[in-house]
Amino acid sequence: MNKASKANKANKAANKAKTDIILQTRGLKETYMQGKVPIHALQGVDLQVKRGELISIVGPSGSGKSTLLSIIGMLETPTEGEVFIDGIEVTGVKMKEIPRLRREKIGFVFQHFNLLPALTALGNVEIAMRFARVHKKERIRRATEVLTEMGLGDRLNHKPSELSGGEQQRVSIARALANKPSIILADEPTGEVDTKTRDLIIGILRRLSDGGQTVIVVTHDTWVAERTDRVIRLVDGMVEGA
Amino acid sequence: MFDIILRNLSQRKVRTALTISGIALGIFAVIVMGSMSENFNQTFETSFSLTADKIRVFGSSGVFGGSVTTSKAAEVRKVPGVKDAYGLLMAPLEEGGGMSFGGNQIVGLPPEKSQTVLEPVQVSEGRFLMRGDRYETVIGTSVATQYKIGVGDRIEIQDKYFTVVGVLEYTGSFFDATAAVPLDIAQDVYDMGDMVSMIFAIPEEGVDGDLLAKRIKLSVDGVDTLSPSELEEEARQSLMIFSVITISAAVLAAIIGGLSVMNTMLMSVMERTKEFGILKALGAERRDILIMTVGEAAIMGLLGGLLGLACGWVVVYGMNLWLAEKGIVLFLITPRLVVIGMLFAILLGTLSGIYPALRATRMSPMEALRYE
Repeated sequence: MNKASKANKANKAANKAKTDIILQTRGLKETYMQGKVPIHALQGVDLQVKRGELISIVGPSGSGKSTLLSIIGMLETPTEGEVFIDGIEVTGVKMKEIPRLRREKIGFVFQHFNLLPALTALGNVEIAMRFARVHKKERIRRATEVLTEMGLGDRLNHKPSELSGGEQQRVSIARALANKPSIILADEPTGEVDTKTRDLIIGILRRLSDGGQTVIVVTHDTWVAERTDRVIRLVDGMVEGA
Repeated sequence: MFDIILRNLSQRKVRTALTISGIALGIFAVIVMGSMSENFNQTFETSFSLTADKIRVFGSSGVFGGSVTTSKAAEVRKVPGVKDAYGLLMAPLEEGGGMSFGGNQIVGLPPEKSQTVLEPVQVSEGRFLMRGDRYETVIGTSVATQYKIGVGDRIEIQDKYFTVVGVLEYTGSFFDATAAVPLDIAQDVYDMGDMVSMIFAIPEEGVDGDLLAKRIKLSVDGVDTLSPSELEEEARQSLMIFSVITISAAVLAAIIGGLSVMNTMLMSVMERTKEFGILKALGAERRDILIMTVGEAAIMGLLGGLLGLACGWVVVYGMNLWLAEKGIVLFLITPRLVVIGMLFAILLGTLSGIYPALRATRMSPMEALRYE
């Protein structure tokens, strides 16, 4: 099989995958109190994301982007509405089921990387698999594999303080990928890096999406948004144009 | 998980060391005070078991007073069921010394009865007293050690010199701190006339000690009795009070150590708010966070316990060595004490870690992630 036909086959598979709905939100509302004032962070968000899609959520500060991401990531529960991931209504499961679902379905990439400073790159990736009770040998193998994929094969034993911003963010992406989640949620993943690193990070997310990984990026950066399959614009807790 | 716990502890070396020292100090107190209590307990148990078959007869005017005379012994001996009875005079060996724990005492006894009184203790050197002995004495091991004397040497008691004719074997009881001398000589040198401290009444075989004690009390005028079981009860109560005082002082010290663990863990949990947020975002369960945090506290408790035990052992060993020259044994570390000390340390660490751990598990991951 020649190179072109191989690529063609891979694209077909990816396109086929993009027809399944991996994430769906229905009437998502979130209200919290700031002192005595109720803040309506989300006012009924309906969203559908297909498997392997790379989408961006944009909008001004306070438009509800991070709240939406937190709810999808099961870090917060909505006041109203439902979230389905892989056909499972994650907003309806018992609290004690949440950590397991979070491990299986979600990989987080944070703006400030949020790596554990005392651990090496390998340790930071490997720790994510500990909670999934993966055997140590397998954890090390998988962590090495994903870090090598991120081009950090020679930085495995470096601590975050010994890594550049771009390298730290790649460790963070490797950590998010460790448990092979259904969706990667990236909150301003390029907010703290220079433009060269930004290109590199978006390149990586693009590559992951092309390989069938669903990626949702919250960003302020229009350059980043333009390079995603679809842009969802949030204004005052609602999807614009919805 | 163990490696993460150790990493977290080693990350804050000074604080961890200080906390461990706090626990160690508490457990040190438990070991030292406890070993003192254990020693008294054991001395009592042995002393009691060595004289368990004898009924003590006192003058009714005062327990442990010297208000009973030798002649009463003859009256007691006549009571049915009494095999033998004889007076004993007890007095401090050293001038000004009390009859308290650790002090040496003389026991004036009829010389021909010395073997019976001291039974089942045997002499390790020399012989017991015998009829006709006057300024002769049989001494316990503590007296021998303290005065550095043995058979053939002389010891001064109340300005009179007594020749040591026998040294008793070590018993771990009051007998070790005793110099047995003939009763009439003791009464003489202590200027006690015909007085004795108490009369020992030995029941005939098969006679119930408690019933016989009552019978003696009813049959002989002006005496009070203490049966073996009454004596045990009385002594146990005093020992209990002593144990409660020493152990509660030690427990208080240990609880302060425990509070220092709680303080450290609370600070550590606050500092790691964000870390817990990250771990939860990575799928850590409540149980993982709980094990991690309580584990840290428990390990600090364990290390503090080991350190406290080691320091306590060194001090107790040193003190015993030093006191041995004075013929005193004051501390005894028993396996029971070691187990209690260690369990207490681990329990204290674990309990002190639970509240901070619960706080850590209750944090909302989103709030924890936003925490700076």
